[in-house]
Amino acid sequence: MLKYFNYLSLAGLLLSTSCVMAQQPDRLDQPSPMSPAAHSVLLTDITQAGERLVAVGDFGVVLFSDDQGHSWSQAQVPVTTLLTSVHFTSSESGWVTGHDGVLLFSDTAGAEWQLFFDGNQINQKKVDYFEAQIALLTDDDLADDPFLEDDLAFDLEDAQFALEEGPVNPLLNVWFMNQQTGFLLGAYGLALRTDDGGQHWSIFSSDLPNPDQFHLNAMTQLNDSLVIAGEAGLLLRSDDQGHSWYELPSPYEGSFFDVIAHQEALFVLGLRGHLFMSLDGGFDWQEIPVDTTVSFMGAYSDGERLAIAGLAGTLLSGDQPEQLQLLSTGTRQHFNAVVRTTEGWVLAGEQGIFRQGKQEGTQ
Amino acid sequence: MKRMAERLLTPIRRSEQWVEYLLFHQRPWVLSTFLLITLVLGWQAVQIRPDASFIKMIPTSHPYVENYLTYQDDLSGLGNSVRVAVATTDEDIFTAEFQDVLRLVTDELFFISGVDRAALQSIWTPNVRWTEVTEEGFVGGPVIPPDFDGSEATLDQLRINVLRSGQVGRLVANDFRSAIIEVPLLDFDPETGERLDYQVFSERLELQIRDQFSNDQISIHITGFAKIVGDLIDGAKQVALFFALAIVITMVLLYLYSRSVQGTLIPLACSLIAVIWQLGLLNALGFGIDPYSMLVPFLVFAIAVSHGVQIVNAIRLESLNDPDKWHAARSAFRLLYIPGLTALVSDGIGFFTLMVIDIQVIQELAIAASLGVAVIILTNLLLLPLLMSYVGVGNKAIEHARLQARQGGEHWRVLTWFATKKGASTALGVAVLLAFLGVFAAQGLQIGDLDRGAPELRADSRYNLDNDFITSNYSTSSDVFVVMAVTEPDQCSSPVTLSAVERFQYQMQAVPGVQSSVSLADLSKRITSGLNEGNPKWRAVSRNQFVINASLAFVPGGLMNSDCSLLPVILFLDDHKAETLTRVSDAVEQFAENYNSDSLQYLLAAGNAGFEAATNQVIARAQYEMLAWVYGVVSLLCLLTFRSVKTVLCIILPLALTSLLCQALMALMGIGVKVATLPVIALGVGIGVDYGIYIYSRLSNYLSQGMKLTDAYFETLKTTGKPVAFTGLTLAIGVVLWVFSPIKFQADMGILLTFMFLWNMLGALILLPALTAFLKPHPELTSSPELFENER
Repeated sequence: MLKYFNYLSLAGLLLSTSCVMAQQPDRLDQPSPMSPAAHSVLLTDITQAGERLVAVGDFGVVLFSDDQGHSWSQAQVPVTTLLTSVHFTSSESGWVTGHDGVLLFSDTAGAEWQLFFDGNQINQKKVDYFEAQIALLTDDDLADDPFLEDDLAFDLEDAQFALEEGPVNPLLNVWFMNQQTGFLLGAYGLALRTDDGGQHWSIFSSDLPNPDQFHLNAMTQLNDSLVIAGEAGLLLRSDDQGHSWYELPSPYEGSFFDVIAHQEALFVLGLRGHLFMSLDGGFDWQEIPVDTTVSFMGAYSDGERLAIAGLAGTLLSGDQPEQLQLLSTGTRQHFNAVVRTTEGWVLAGEQGIFRQGKQEGTQ
Repeated sequence: MKRMAERLLTPIRRSEQWVEYLLFHQRPWVLSTFLLITLVLGWQAVQIRPDASFIKMIPTSHPYVENYLTYQDDLSGLGNSVRVAVATTDEDIFTAEFQDVLRLVTDELFFISGVDRAALQSIWTPNVRWTEVTEEGFVGGPVIPPDFDGSEATLDQLRINVLRSGQVGRLVANDFRSAIIEVPLLDFDPETGERLDYQVFSERLELQIRDQFSNDQISIHITGFAKIVGDLIDGAKQVALFFALAIVITMVLLYLYSRSVQGTLIPLACSLIAVIWQLGLLNALGFGIDPYSMLVPFLVFAIAVSHGVQIVNAIRLESLNDPDKWHAARSAFRLLYIPGLTALVSDGIGFFTLMVIDIQVIQELAIAASLGVAVIILTNLLLLPLLMSYVGVGNKAIEHARLQARQGGEHWRVLTWFATKKGASTALGVAVLLAFLGVFAAQGLQIGDLDRGAPELRADSRYNLDNDFITSNYSTSSDVFVVMAVTEPDQCSSPVTLSAVERFQYQMQAVPGVQSSVSLADLSKRITSGLNEGNPKWRAVSRNQFVINASLAFVPGGLMNSDCSLLPVILFLDDHKAETLTRVSDAVEQFAENYNSDSLQYLLAAGNAGFEAATNQVIARAQYEMLAWVYGVVSLLCLLTFRSVKTVLCIILPLALTSLLCQALMALMGIGVKVATLPVIALGVGIGVDYGIYIYSRLSNYLSQGMKLTDAYFETLKTTGKPVAFTGLTLAIGVVLWVFSPIKFQADMGILLTFMFLWNMLGALILLPALTAFLKPHPELTSSPELFENER
């Protein structure tokens, strides 16, 4: 009897260790499954890599198309988090951001992606940053601002707490000014930059005049200036390649989801159908009235045409700002981003890719 | 073998003697006992209630259903609701007139008892709100503008509110030409504590909603489980009409057959008494009558009539020798008591094998049918000859019988060809060919229901048209497969759980047949996005428990249980074809096997599709198990009676061919093997074996007298051919009317049973002699003189 009991318990032990996992796998460790369902997930961004189209979205899905968006393949991605933004610096090299502070890199034109870092490393960078700041403090600094040491200690404590809490905050945008210099924007004012083509990234959140730590949603370049748009009407501008920043007067207190330069004009767009244009680099804004109250999420310009995608099937396009027209897409799915192909508009939406044919596109 | 059979059959033979004594020497006492029992059971029978319990139609010991039953209370918010769609022929619903009707319908539904009033939803209820992300955060309000007065301005406002409420596709049709009122039901009335009476509820919907509000512009469409049950019970009531019709037709046939008023009315009366007893006993035992067991009274009546016919026929023939009523009845009783008993016992046992199927409606059907057959032994084998001993068959009938006896029944000669070598080979050749064709066609036989909508009802029934209307105009499926994700208490909304569950949903959405899915994870993602200015880039499960808690400040019913240890994942399927259900349940089980952990287990399954998946699995297994049992039991009974394997083959092979052809017919007609059709083969074989027993017992009798096979068969046909043909006919009449039932599965059962009864009859008349000619069971072995000594 005892013998059987031993066998039984041994078998039970084997069963429990082989079949039942102690805990669920983390989405940062789980490669995005190759799945037919990848073609209908929420897509958040779309871009062009040479002739190729690349779109990113939920469950670590990256899709690419070599035929103007007719057919799509799923890329190899090492994580299953919601991806938020994609940017290519050449037709081969591209970057993707996502939730849990994920940064992915591809040098295969978007077919395979490697995890470059995740939120844990970002949190560590923050701790390192504040520790370095405290170490670098001089008596002069303290004479200028007697509270600086306390403030930095407080920030360090925050950063250490965040490190323990884990990679809870998303990166929301990746954008490269050129091959070498690029920026990552994220939740609660997180900002990183690289000047060596992405080899090393450093945090520069503290350089931004963003005391309320609003989310940073998008950035663009107009002539030699850089502009960041964010939550609660936040607009920041830098005239020295992003080393120092100042706040622009904002025409709106709601969130901006994208900022784009089109033919010498700067456009910001966001919540509840708000679209503004500035002809002087962001100091003076005028509202472009659009007959909609749904939010605009993403803009596209190829220098020739401007397009704006929004929630509930909204697509706006035109050559000139005053000619922007609402196109009839026949759907109410949310659109997050748009690009132009020779055959019309290709949109990244709530239910995957949506194509708006040329006829409708040129109405 | 022989001795065992003797030992088993001895009590039956002994019983024959004292039963006969009791019956024919204590007639008044026996008669008054029967009268008393009939009164008592009749009083019971009128109280029998229609009963269509959902839980009885599913296999309660299947793990899926066990899991459901474990969490039944937590899942109560799911599913048991009725949806009422109010549609207009106008361009859209944004007119003052339509909104007026919608408001009135909503109010009317609110006051129907059984409705969970707090959870009632339409665009006219205050719990349906629009929300919008603004510069200040979430803002919202009821969809109906507070100042709504039917004016253009307020109608425009309503249109905007509907659009931003996200209810398009849910409470408002995609084409804006109808609106839904979602009516969740309470299983128990909070005031009286009584169980919801689906039939009464369904009737109220018809009267107070459909009849009152339908007109040229407005149409009403209602779906939901309560409505299906209501329609089933209504449909079952119509079936009572078929019963009356079956009685009338049977009466006419009986008269044509017996040419005797007594010989018509008494078997009919005894058969009705059998039905009354059967129903009375069911009620006394605490059973109701459901749309499945509804079939049983028909079967009992038909079987009772067919046995009654045998007895009246025997009395008629005996009357030729001895015109005394008492003697003729007594001789007929003696002649038929044992074969009748054997046939009825094998029917009963055949039905009882259905008990192996672990689905309560089938088991109750088995009990009801076995009970009915047992009752027939009393009413038609005992009471019927007793009554006939008082009234006799009448002179006209005796004259008719005499005329027939003189004519010699030459028309039966045709069938004896099948007992010749040439005829037998032809018949068997055709049978083998049919068997091959049958095997080929039966390949297409499917498990489960193949039609869209509520499979219990016809595709063109009002319910299914309503269902089509709703599924085509709204973004919802009526085929719901629920997976229960079970965690430790308070862990159902942890970041780990929710991201595991969203991944599960993503994997399931890749399974062909899965349209979409919903769980607590979706709600959390949507609200998290909403809390971040509605930005879709935030539509993710947060790693921060506080963010998740904020996103789940308000959870609608059914997405989690009260101690947060269960979150149902609802998969909406394209259809409920067996293939789809198997694919989905396999995928879920595979995922569960790979990812179940100590902290999170995926349990299958609830929802109509989940239960149907479980039912299909049980049926797929039970199908062969039941065939093995029914054929095993019936073969054993034949073996006991005739004590020859070859004889058993002669009787069983024709039945097997019919069963096979029945499966082929099902495949060709697109009828799946399901709760309703599974019992058909057991019923068909159980009853079909009667023909074989009656014919073979006569045939072996004549063969043992040294007759040639063709002559013996001719004699057999002259005496039993007519009753056998008549039996086939009465049985078929009992069930063929079911084809017109508004309930789809009853119609399916009707078609298949009619087919089985008629083909079994043909099999017995054609294949049995052919097989006998071919297999040549030795006459000494096949006859069992001591068993049928009374027949000589």
